[in-house]
Order: sequence, then structure tokens, then C-alpha cells
Amino acid sequence: MNLLNLKYEKYKLQNGLEVILHSVKNIPFVASNIWYKVGSANEKRGKTGLAHFFEHMMFQGSQNVAKEMHFRFIQEAGGSLNGSTGFDRTNYYEKVPSNFLELILWLESDRMGYLLPSLNREKLENQIGVVKNERLERYDNQPYGLAWEIMISNLYSEEHPYSWPTIGFLNDISSYTLDDVKNFFRKFYSPSNASLVLSGHFDPERGKDLIEKYFDGLPSQNSLQPLNPSNTELSEDKFISYEDNVNLGRIYLAWHSDKAFGKDDAALDILADILSGSKNSRLYKFLVYDHEIAQDVTAFQYSGKFGGHFMIIATARPGIALTTLKQKIFEVLDEVKKQGVSERELLRSKNGIKSGFIYSLQNVDSLADQLNFYNFYLGEPNSFNYDLNRYEEVNIEVVPAIAGKYLAKPHLELHILPKEKKK
Amino acid sequence: MENYRSIKPLPSEDLDFIVPRIQIFKLENGLTVYFVERHNLPILRLNIVSESGSKFDQPAKKGLANLFSMMIDEGAGKYSALELSDEFELLGSNFDIRCNSDCIYFSLRTLKENYEKSLSLLAAIITSPRLLKEDYEREQRKVLTRILQMKDDPDEMANTAFDYLLFGKENPYAYPILGYEENVRQISNEDIRLFYENYFAPNKSALIAAGDITRPELEEKINYYFQNWKAKDVKQIPVSIQEDQGLQKIYFINRENSVQTEIRIGHVSSKRNDYDFFPKMILNTVLGGQFSSRINLNLREKKGYTYGASSSFYYYKECAYFIVSTSVAAENTADAVKELFNELNRIRNGVKQEEIEFAKSSIIRKFPSNFETNSQIASAISRMFIHQLHDNHFQTYIEKLRRVSIEQVNQASLENIFPDQMITVLAGDKNKLAAQFAPENLVEVNEKGLIC
Repeated sequence: MNLLNLKYEKYKLQNGLEVILHSVKNIPFVASNIWYKVGSANEKRGKTGLAHFFEHMMFQGSQNVAKEMHFRFIQEAGGSLNGSTGFDRTNYYEKVPSNFLELILWLESDRMGYLLPSLNREKLENQIGVVKNERLERYDNQPYGLAWEIMISNLYSEEHPYSWPTIGFLNDISSYTLDDVKNFFRKFYSPSNASLVLSGHFDPERGKDLIEKYFDGLPSQNSLQPLNPSNTELSEDKFISYEDNVNLGRIYLAWHSDKAFGKDDAALDILADILSGSKNSRLYKFLVYDHEIAQDVTAFQYSGKFGGHFMIIATARPGIALTTLKQKIFEVLDEVKKQGVSERELLRSKNGIKSGFIYSLQNVDSLADQLNFYNFYLGEPNSFNYDLNRYEEVNIEVVPAIAGKYLAKPHLELHILPKEKKK
Repeated sequence: MENYRSIKPLPSEDLDFIVPRIQIFKLENGLTVYFVERHNLPILRLNIVSESGSKFDQPAKKGLANLFSMMIDEGAGKYSALELSDEFELLGSNFDIRCNSDCIYFSLRTLKENYEKSLSLLAAIITSPRLLKEDYEREQRKVLTRILQMKDDPDEMANTAFDYLLFGKENPYAYPILGYEENVRQISNEDIRLFYENYFAPNKSALIAAGDITRPELEEKINYYFQNWKAKDVKQIPVSIQEDQGLQKIYFINRENSVQTEIRIGHVSSKRNDYDFFPKMILNTVLGGQFSSRINLNLREKKGYTYGASSSFYYYKECAYFIVSTSVAAENTADAVKELFNELNRIRNGVKQEEIEFAKSSIIRKFPSNFETNSQIASAISRMFIHQLHDNHFQTYIEKLRRVSIEQVNQASLENIFPDQMITVLAGDKNKLAAQFAPENLVEVNEKGLIC
């Protein structure tokens, strides 16, 4: 599709920083998006959560930017900003009126090159407090908030770097020292370990000049040894139950599946959509609509650089046992495996995915992130059509075959159960 | 290091931004149409905002408007509920309905090539919903379970109790959109049908179109598809604010073993109006409207009590309130509440000129980014419709903000922030709270906000 063929320019600075420029004129704003090739997968046990904590420290100012001023300068310019951390990568992004392009390149380059001189104990302790609260607010204090952590730590073997949560364990968060943070920076925050995307309304030649001005002189560290975790499989079915402050039970099922952009990754996405993406999807219709034994159900393929898993989550209606829910889920899966799916079901999913690609072209900030995403996993930023074709190529024989291949393997099962109420 | 690195770079010349032109016209049945023509991508957003939200729920039928919003797309015209959903998906269109206190919002995102078919489905939902009993019973059971689930969520618990304690039992904005279990059980499918007859009216609604279509084509199609939606008289609802606002009480909902406390502090505020809307916006930007605001910098970046703290003036159509909102580790609850009140008292002493300049710069420069996507344009226009703002609202927005003086902002603080009249609502563990507050100041309430 012509619309999805994005024009861009990609090059490398001497220090190894990859640069991707994509100019598009809608509103007079420009988005900057940097991916550092480091995520929680690069952590060690005992210091889990450090990649995410480090993301916080990147907003605490750098040698030429005082504490609080990073946020303040961008907000004063009418911009928005944030960062996020996952298993595989950490990103930092901002969107500002186009005439503030130089401001954000200055800010990003200063913390890429000169973060350490400004670090101190006070900032460290303050952000340990903030991140502990983030963990409490988003996980510990949320209904079902610990489920993800329980699932991945049981699904992946203890040595596998996806076996701990990106936010980190509470004790680990309390243990970070200034040296931990400094070593992390020296090891991972090198220009040669990052890629910078500019997308939006800007003049590419001026963009190049400014990038050279601010980033070219930043020193690079030695190259990193890539991670090479061994494959992880469950040798048999595994069952866990956990009591939480909730009114309804919830079942989680997970199977090891394919990596990001592995050959079955797209088919697994389609399988997930056919199972739970709409009112007519197999699991939703059976469990929620026809039999009303579940309040909600969702299936998804999670895939990263070093592994993937397929997950199904369903919340039981009052009085419905999770074992019943499980049995019905497996009945539906068996039907898909044995009888396959219809052309109409497949087309529905494909059309939704295709139009989703077109809708996603509206925001320059999400475009910038997507260009970095493709560059990271595929080495080619302009992969929108390639990505879409992965889905287009899935045919109705593939869907039951994929279900048979992955969802027949040993699985992990978690039951979150309501705590017994005290009178 | 290069010398230039120590100096913050200056912006280059400002780029022009022209606010999208909003065309407004009315159909014969009273439906107001707002239209923004954009041809940058082959897509179109078609939203309908209907003033038929939960403020119209009768006292014994709290939850009716929401249930109606869940029912209206469960089959329409020749399509069953499942067929409707199937049709939308085959077209690659996204369709969604949500309900709040003022309005029910229908949002439809479609590819240009499929817009007419999508529009015809939307029109079928609006003009000929089936509203069948068997669908009703299923949706009713779903919402009853949803109400049960809400009791798990500390954020929802605090909000629900806060709304009730803030507005008082006579005010329709005091109640949760989902309603109460005992009321929802009493609602019948006949009530849903009557709600559709009495409250769902084109003359109380707007259609907002943004995207790749021309005015003549749009006008022709919506006239055709919505001609059967007939105008009706909708009774206005009385809104009364309780007199006693519970002066400085601290209410709490016990959430056993909670590791955090949800905190809400606030009071009722003046309705949205031309007199002080912009001064209040600047005031709140200084106080708690964004990351670099006083409240967040103090509680997060200075004290490390929270992941985030904020304040806002929230405007319904018929009334408004001011709220401060955060969540903190349980053991820091009293310290956090104290700091929040320090900030609320301090703001009344006045703000600095540089704080005003910062707030203005931030809002004015950000303004164009509110018009990047069709969906953003449509939401901005929804607010225009709900608050019946002037047609040139967005054209005059920046000028009005620029003109706000420091005196007006300080005046707005004195007229809109009254720390000694605020209620505080906490959702957290009773024992942990009792250890931090004097018992005579603490009032226990249930999840509805009723005193235990």
C-alpha cells in the first residue's frame, strides 16, 4: 500500500548513533524518539527494575540542565514528553512545536552524554521513593495487580531475563546505589547503543545540522556483548493459585510461543483476535455472550526479542468456578484446532489490522516510535507494508495449525481467588 | 565540552498555525452538525454526542442511562447485536459507546472507502435500536457484575464516595454512572424503551464529522440517514447543590490491608463561564495541572510521597468542582494531606508573574497539538457543544489566555480555592489511617459515601 510506504533517511554518526529522519507536514510540531537498546532483560537478579529506575533518573537533569528543568523547558515550549521501559528497550520521547527542535536535541544529547556529573544521593533517594510508589500504585494496590509478575516468573526459567517484572521487586528498588546507576549508564547509555528518530514538520537538512552539532561529539563506550538467553520451555503443566482483595476469580493461562517477528508471530496475533477481539470472537461469544460464565476474556500474543508467550485471561461471573471456565476455554480451543475458522472470521481480523495501520499514521509521536520499533526488531524503519503483509499472508489453514502447534504444549495456569471475607 | 552546550538554545521563528475551520449547521430535526474538512488521510471520524447522560436517571433508577447506552447497539434495524458488530469489523471500522453524567458519546472511526456503510450502521443504531428483552437481561447481568468489580478498585472507591459527599443526595451528579446494584435490579427493559422515547433526541444532540469528505456529500448523507430521528421535548433536570459541605471533615472508606491510600480533596466550584474560565485554567496549571506544577513538584519530586499528584477544575454542564487527587504509601497519608493543604493555602497568597508566564507559554504553545488527529478535533468540538461555547471559541482562545493578568489569577484563587471548606476522602486501611489522624476528625463511610 502506497500510503504505508514512508519516506525516510537513515544514517549513522561516527560515534555509532543511528539517526532516522521522517518529515511529514500536518500540524507544526516535531516528535523526537530515542530508543536505547537496553531493557529489564539486561538486568541481574538482585537489581531488578534498574532499567526502569534509570529511566526516571534521566529526567532528573544533567550537567547543563538543573533538576526539574528538563520537564519545565519542554512544558514551557508547549511540548509533551515521557519515557517507557520494557523487557528489550527503553524509549524517551517528546513532541514540541517545530521551532523548539533545537531545544529537545540539546536536552536529549546532554543526558546522553553528560548525565553522571549531575547525579547525587538526594536525587537517587527521591526517585527511589517515587518508583516504590509507582510500584505500589500500579501493581501492589491494584486488583489482580501482581498477576503479570506471578505469570512471567513461573513461565520463564529463573535464568531467563523475562522472568522478572520491568518495575522490579520492592526490595531491589530499595537497594539501588549511586554506583549501580553510574555503572548502568556507562554500560548501556552509549550513542552506539541508541537510535534517534525525528518525525513531523521539520526541515531535514536543518535537522541533520542540529543532530551533528549536539550528538556528534558524544563519546561512545565499547560495544556490548549481546544477550543470548537459552530457550525456555515448560516441561509439564504448572498450576498456581493466589488470593487477592477481589470479588471475582480470574484465570490466566499461558503457553510459550514465538518471538517478535518470528515466523508464527503474526498468525498468533490473528489467532488472539479471532479468540477474543470482538463480540463475535470465539471465546467472547461463548463465555461472555452465550453462556455468561465470564465477565470478560482477552487473549494476546506477547512477543519480545528473546521469547514470546500466548496468554488467555478470563474473569469469572459470581458463582462460577475457575475450573469450569478453564474447561470451556479448552473446549473452544479444541474446536478451533479441529474445525478451523471461517474465511469471514479471518477477513474480519485482517480488515481490522489493516485499517489500524492507516489510523496509526495520524500522530507523529506514534509514527516516530513505530519507526524505531521496526528499526530495532527488523533493521528497517520503513516496514509498515512488510508488517501488514505478514498478516495478509495468514490463510485459514494456518490458524488451526498454529493453535495446534502452540496451545497443545504444556501451559501455566494461575487462579486469582477472592480472599475469604472476615465478618 | 562545547561551549554552546551550557546555554539553552532559543527557539527559531514561530510557525503559523491556523485553527481548523469548523462548519456548523442544523438539520430540520434539530441535530447540530459540526464539520471539519481534512484530506490528509483517507479516513473519517463520525461522532454523536447526545445529552442523555446519567444526570437524567430518576432517583430509584440510578444506572438507567448507562444501561441504555449498553443496550442501544445490541441490535438495530435488520441487524442483531452480533451482526452489527460483525459488520463494523468487516469494514475495518471502530465503533464505541460510552456514557457519562451529561452525555452519551458514540464514536465511529472509518476508512473513507467504507464510510457510507459505516454511517448507515450508526444511523440504524441511533434511529432504530431493537431494545429487546432478551438482550436487556444479558446486559443487565453484565452491569451488575461490573458494579461488583468496581468495589475492588481503590481509585473508583475514592471517586464514588467523593462525588456523593461533594454534591449531596439531591444532586444528579452525585451518583455513579453505573448506578447502584439495588436500583439496577429494578430497571426493566420498558424503562430503557421509555428512556429512548423521552430523552434521546436529535435536538439535544450533535453530530461531529472530521476527516476526508466534502460538505455537500456529508450534508446529503446525514440528511438521508438521520431524517427519521424525530425531535422531542426533553425536560430539563433540576440541579441543586447541598448547603452543608461537611466543613473540613476527613471521610474514609476502609480498604483492609491496602498498601496505599487514595486521596481526594475538594469542593464544589463555579460553573464554566466566560468571566473566569481562563484565569482558573492558568491558576490550576500553576497549582496542579501538569508535571511542573507546585503540587506535583512538592509531593513527588521533593518529598517522594507519590508517583504523581494533580489538581483540576472539572466542569459538568450544570455544575463544577475542584479536586486534588493522588495516591500515596499508606504510612505517608497524613503527611501528604498536610502538604496538600499547605499548597492550597499557599496559592491563596498569590502566584508569581513568572509562574503565570510559564503556564501561559505552556498552554498557548501546546494549543495546535490539540488538533492533530480527527479524534482530538472531535473531542474538542464535543466540549464546545456540551458547554454551548461560542462558534469562534477556538479562534479567540489564545487571545483570551494572553490577556489574563496576574490580578485575575490571584482573584481566581481567592474566589475558587477555599481550603477550610474542602472535604477530604481517603480510601485505605482503617488501622493505618487511625494511627495518623485524630479519631474525632475521621468519619467512616461506605463505598457509596454514606456514613457508617
